Amino acid sequence: MSHDPKLENGMEIVDQETLMRYLDGELPPDERRRVEAALSASTELQRDLTLFRELKQELAGVIPDAVGDRAVSVWEAVNRRLARPLGWVLLVLGVLGWTAYGVYIYITSPSDPVEKLATGSVAIGILILLAGVIAERYREWLTDPYRDVQR
Amino acid sequence: MQPEVEGELIRKCQAGDPRFYEPLVRAYEPVGLRLALGMMGNREDARDALQDAFVKAFEALSSFDARRPFGPWFLQILRNKCRDQLRSRASRFRLETPSDEMERHPADPRWGPERQRQRTAARETLWEALGDLPPEHREILVLKELEGFRYGEIAGILEIPEGTVASRLFHARQALRDALSRNGGAVNGGSSS
Repeated sequence: MSHDPKLENGMEIVDQETLMRYLDGELPPDERRRVEAALSASTELQRDLTLFRELKQELAGVIPDAVGDRAVSVWEAVNRRLARPLGWVLLVLGVLGWTAYGVYIYITSPSDPVEKLATGSVAIGILILLAGVIAERYREWLTDPYRDVQR
Repeated sequence: MQPEVEGELIRKCQAGDPRFYEPLVRAYEPVGLRLALGMMGNREDARDALQDAFVKAFEALSSFDARRPFGPWFLQILRNKCRDQLRSRASRFRLETPSDEMERHPADPRWGPERQRQRTAARETLWEALGDLPPEHREILVLKELEGFRYGEIAGILEIPEGTVASRLFHARQALRDALSRNGGAVNGGSSS
């Protein structure tokens, strides 16, 4: 089906890329005239061009029909996602602020230092374990080959 | 959208105000949805890819030159998103037949029900044949046949030399004809659409 540049009945026929450029209106006028001359001399080329032209017309209708006019805008979803980082920043700042305030209140409270040390150890231990589990899960998630599989 | 308006909106977005992103999203949503649908094969995945692409584009706007047109740059991001999703998801190209949507449209009064049915069947066959093509063929067909981009624009979106556009289009169209032949819906040169 493809056309190599060669002579047919003494006339150069067009290669596949030139035929595509002709079909899509991408050729300069002189090249266009050359293709039209070749077309008038080659029925095979005419047939190819007709087939590609029909395919082009059929394709032009298929996806707009599939999209339809019921499509709801994605803007709301996009907007929510754009606002998400701000939400995270505020949440983290709030948690850090409250934690710092809690630590300050705890340190400046008149409790027994030994009691403070023991309670602090428990809190720090829990935090270290929690951070370890989160880090481990994150490393597993990074290397999980099935993470994008929809269940 | 006029280039000056588009440039102004982009500059305001670059200043950090996402409210000015809405007109851009609404302007490029239809073309994006058609490209994504052509790539992904169904509306659900197409809309996911479209959302991801708009979010990614907003995040990357700070490095975007507002004097350049937004459309080709955005479609490049969208095309990469679609390809990433096709690579990573087990579903790959998941075909959704467009017949439900087509049947919603009122029948053309020039045609009888039988002609209408044949036309719908022909389009379904074409849609299925499109699904048989590799992504690089589908994307170039969508950009050319559905969006009507010039070769230079397609080259920019697909990040390929302009000379490659014609040859890739030829192979894509040829592959589509072959797929149609296999599915029994060959374009035969004598039918009219």
